Amino acid sequence: MAKATRVIIIEQAYLLAAGLEALVGELHGVYVEHVYHGSEPNLTEKVLGHKPDIIIVDPNSLGEQFFSIMKAFQNETDIKVVGLLSDNAPNPIKGRFSHQLNRNHCKFDLLEDLKKIIGNDLEKKPSHNQKLSNREIELLKQVCLGLTNQEIADKLFLSVHTVMTHRKNITKKLGIKTVSGLTVYALMNNLVDIREVENRG
Amino acid sequence: MLIEKDMNLADVLHHDHNLIPVINRFGIKLGFGDSTIEEICSDLNINLDFFLTITNTYHDPRYFANSHLKSFDVYLLVDYLKQTHKNYLNDRIPYIARLIKQLMEDTTEHKASMKLLENFYKEYVNELTRHIEREEKVVYPYVLKLEKAIDTAVFPDELTHQVKTYSITDYEKEHENVEEKLFDLKNIIIKYLPPTSNQNLCFSIIHELFILEKDLNEHARIEDTILVPKVESMEYVILNNKN
Repeated sequence: MAKATRVIIIEQAYLLAAGLEALVGELHGVYVEHVYHGSEPNLTEKVLGHKPDIIIVDPNSLGEQFFSIMKAFQNETDIKVVGLLSDNAPNPIKGRFSHQLNRNHCKFDLLEDLKKIIGNDLEKKPSHNQKLSNREIELLKQVCLGLTNQEIADKLFLSVHTVMTHRKNITKKLGIKTVSGLTVYALMNNLVDIREVENRG
Repeated sequence: MLIEKDMNLADVLHHDHNLIPVINRFGIKLGFGDSTIEEICSDLNINLDFFLTITNTYHDPRYFANSHLKSFDVYLLVDYLKQTHKNYLNDRIPYIARLIKQLMEDTTEHKASMKLLENFYKEYVNELTRHIEREEKVVYPYVLKLEKAIDTAVFPDELTHQVKTYSITDYEKEHENVEEKLFDLKNIIIKYLPPTSNQNLCFSIIHELFILEKDLNEHARIEDTILVPKVESMEYVILNNKN
């Protein structure tokens, strides 16, 4: 499964925010992480703290802070900043956004626009292989036998840092976080022998 | 939906039946006809504000209990949390264990995998039990001591020392590990258990695990949003009384 796309909304008007949330909710693999009113202190840090993929901003909600906040957002090149604008939004404001949603549009058009904005993003993602590599299987066996990261590193001639990276990837691929959970997986798939596991220290 | 005292409890449960174990912990059993929450609470001697705080917090993650915070005693909350633990250990956990056992007995192939599942579940239960015991032996007695000190205005040095060395804020972090095992358990059954003929039983087990998980999350949230702030304010009072 591709990674979910996170959206942050900055919108003061309750009905508009609710509408945006409903709109985003119709798209597959996209969700609204948080809605801000726009007047919160330290808004920029709070928003960027979520590591969003997309920020939807209503310029009216930011008031005088609009330009300074937009500047901070645009420094983050990985984030798409989408303006929620009306037909008669002034050009200096329109020009700040590389992506736009028109608040006067009907639902169908809005969904198409939003899909286009997000769509580019989905295509770029590399294909996700959920199968464990041979190296990861070898490492998983050692984890199940009760070895520490240091011991595994010594045995397989790896750095501890590499061992930790492998472990993170294994957990991500399998969806299993604990050592005992990983052991159950390995045993069910005959990657390790039950007698070896029982003998572990 | 905001749950209020003049509402019919039956209507509330139609809306959110996950509240049934919650009202059980207050001693309310099904079969109360058309009584309102206020009537039921007064019949059973339940603190109404406290009941509303708990049910609302459980029902709606966005609910914040500020306005009611001060109107009930901490021992009520501790009592409720202990009842919740009892419900897990005496009812929910053994029920899931029975389902898993039945799955093992019904399966002719993959016996070894089923056994692994059963052992993993046992491990999870042990960890949860240890966590619960710690709360009941360390955290709750500490909380009750704080309340007693404030009620009687007697502040033993030993208690002040404890407040300085062990703060309730540490305790918020202690929930994580148990949650991870439950997460693994669900994934093992959904993704990795060899296919069994009795899929309905698998569904029942998964369903129970999801309900348990939700309940544990709500339990943790009640602790974090009601118990912890209340205790923090008591700790503050005690430290300031000393100085």
